[in-house]
Amino acid sequence: MTDTAGSAKPKLTARASHSRETASWTDWLRTNSVYIAFALLVIFNLAVTPGFNNLYALRLLLFQAAPLILIALGQSLAIGTRGIDLSVGSLMALSSSMIAVAIGLGQPGAIAVAILTTAFVGLFNGAMVTFLRVDPLISGLALLVAGRGLAKVLLDGSRVGLPSGGPLGWLGMASYVFIPATAIIAIVIAVIVAALVRRTTFGRYTLFAGASRSAAFLAGTPVRRTLLGVYAISGLLAGLAGVFASARTGAADPNYIGVLFELDAIAAAVIGGNPLSGGRISIMGAVFGALLLEVLNATFIMNNIDYTYAQILKAAFIVAALYLQRAGH
Amino acid sequence: MNAPEHPDQPVLEARHITKTFRGFKALDDVSFDLRAGEVHGLMGENGAGKSTLIKTLTGFHAPDAGELRLAGNAARFTSPRESQAAGIAAVYQEINLIPERSVAENIMLGREPRIARTIIDRRRLNAEADALLARYGIGVNARTRLAGLGLGMQQMIAITRAVALGARVVILDEPTSALSGSEVDLLFDLVNRLRDDGVATLFVSHRLSECYALCDRLTVLRDGKHIRTGTPEELPRTELVTAMLGHEREAEVARGEGRDLSAEPRVLSTQDLCWRDRVRDVSIDVHAGEVVGLVGLLGSGRTETFKAIFGATRAEGGRITLDGTPLTRHTPAVSIGRGIAFLPEDRRAEGIFGRLPIRENMTATTLGALGRFGLVSRRRQVALVDEFVDELSIKCSGANQPISELSGGNQQKVLLARCLATRPRALLLDDPTRGIDVGAKDEVHAVIRRLAGEGIAVLITSSEVEELLTVCDRLIAISEGETAGELEVGGTSAEDVLALLAAAADRNPTRASA
Repeated sequence: MTDTAGSAKPKLTARASHSRETASWTDWLRTNSVYIAFALLVIFNLAVTPGFNNLYALRLLLFQAAPLILIALGQSLAIGTRGIDLSVGSLMALSSSMIAVAIGLGQPGAIAVAILTTAFVGLFNGAMVTFLRVDPLISGLALLVAGRGLAKVLLDGSRVGLPSGGPLGWLGMASYVFIPATAIIAIVIAVIVAALVRRTTFGRYTLFAGASRSAAFLAGTPVRRTLLGVYAISGLLAGLAGVFASARTGAADPNYIGVLFELDAIAAAVIGGNPLSGGRISIMGAVFGALLLEVLNATFIMNNIDYTYAQILKAAFIVAALYLQRAGH
Repeated sequence: MNAPEHPDQPVLEARHITKTFRGFKALDDVSFDLRAGEVHGLMGENGAGKSTLIKTLTGFHAPDAGELRLAGNAARFTSPRESQAAGIAAVYQEINLIPERSVAENIMLGREPRIARTIIDRRRLNAEADALLARYGIGVNARTRLAGLGLGMQQMIAITRAVALGARVVILDEPTSALSGSEVDLLFDLVNRLRDDGVATLFVSHRLSECYALCDRLTVLRDGKHIRTGTPEELPRTELVTAMLGHEREAEVARGEGRDLSAEPRVLSTQDLCWRDRVRDVSIDVHAGEVVGLVGLLGSGRTETFKAIFGATRAEGGRITLDGTPLTRHTPAVSIGRGIAFLPEDRRAEGIFGRLPIRENMTATTLGALGRFGLVSRRRQVALVDEFVDELSIKCSGANQPISELSGGNQQKVLLARCLATRPRALLLDDPTRGIDVGAKDEVHAVIRRLAGEGIAVLITSSEVEELLTVCDRLIAISEGETAGELEVGGTSAEDVLALLAAAADRNPTRASA
């Protein structure tokens, strides 16, 4: 699932010397840092944190993780093109408001409207990046502000309750053998996105656009179409993440849903081995990056660490994980 | 800059240096010395160990065995900073200066004259920088913003900064590869002044003629080993090339001389092509099987002409036709679909995808055809790579090797394969052998001739006139964006071509200075 066209190790015919083995060991450490960090954190929690070795805790954690996984996937694609998508948190809120606005169409219709809306906003983001050549950091920032503003306007800034039955109720509550339905859907989508990156021309073009924009253009690959597609997919996934979060909350809540999620999504993608310099995409890494952040949150909450301090510790942890990734460079 | 106490004692000496990477000996028992007041050429093909030697001299790498001696004393540098403090300065193509600040600020960076230790004394800063510039014959105002200067001038500023900091050894790594003719002359002036000052200069270049014009001694490395050191008189060109290659250079490929290709159908044609003020009324015809050389200096508009033909930039006037059908408002993708392939000049920035393997680099353009419904067939990708690795004798460990690990020549062959995989009718090659070694150059020439033999129309440029004379059927001179004349290759010498370009430049004196 990891697509690292770049990290594919050359099969050198040279005799393996000591220095070569050291180098591949640090390579290995770097490529797998997110999995190592994840495993270490889980082991730590199983040993130390009361109540962590509990399937109900696992279920809760996965409920929290599903939306983050989705937006981390879109983020990985955007980062892979050497861009970034800052709009995802606000698009979750916009999606949430759109469900409430369109609930008259019935739940499936409202969900479809919500997701299509954010996909369209994502496409608009992509259009700003490709046609107006706005820096994605700036266009994303504009949509971060405007998206949440629109989400609040749609509901007059208030929280609107959503039906507790039907598809939304199912998404908010259902789980199978302690695995929430939303987590299963998120993983299935992750597999699809990984296949998209690895196996399709679109995925290759995404990597090319990130590895060298001008080389991609001169090689005749459809750079614009690719960028539009990437930001549209990121918007669509953010919309679905908003649906999941709303279903879990049981309400459309433009003030709280998705706040600061874009930063977690970026952290998840980068920790997972998607460098901001583009040209390398690791979908499995992004999924584990998202899980890692959720386990970290759970660690703080379950150990009763004050939220303020938890944020500082989380930042320290992210820096440490990124440092581990840099080791060997 | 003081002469050493013992005049024959080398300023910098490397003794029996060995450096191994992952079991590969990049330097194998290399000994070498640099004397005060000499310009020493370091030569060798790509992968010969030149870069590793430089990085060892500057403390970027620590040698596994052997030692460095600076002015007769053992020296051990653990970082470039230490070697700089000891008076060894390296100037690379990628210049480590601050583009948005003035020339004076860059030269004096870190040791600006101050008033009362706090406020920078701008007047003295500029005066001191002006004095240094005057001393080295650099005609630039110290108040100029660095980014406004050409690359060659920036390089000279970097060298000035290095000697102003007291460097006794200056290492110039491929300083001329991006410079125009007049910039090269200025650089040579500067290096000659350094020699007069007793500075030791290590000069690395792929251009033999420059090394012979400038250097007092030449050292050849091959496969990490020291092969020979000698004065230019002791090492004539043929011997030098033999030392670099380890064998005699193969006889050059036969060109299409004497073939009358004007009767062949016109494949690619431009009429009065215009783009901004860089391409002005350029008309070129290339017939099937013909290799046409666009000869001109860097900045003459040759690259812009290529890009306008290919659709990378939008031509603002004139016509482009392929097989008689016009191409208008086309993009690179459209051009490729119609049968034009383009090899860009700047391999690193516009050609390769550095992070990706050979497989993706070579198949980037033909990806859609290598599968169905947008799916990519990795098997067919690898088959294509295998085919071209064989056909172009690309040296690599396999389709999955990152392209960044290949030498320049092999990277270029991968990009050439990317072009050829589209089965083009017309091939645009913008300086295809830039920065690649002699052996690879000959191979690329052979491929170009073979493609022409198959009926492909080839339009090519090069910074080296000799190269165009070797590989082309016909030359078109371009100067200041205008075609300045046409030359048959038979019986034409490089001097004839340069005379034509010089005459063209004289006709446009105002623009030449712009």
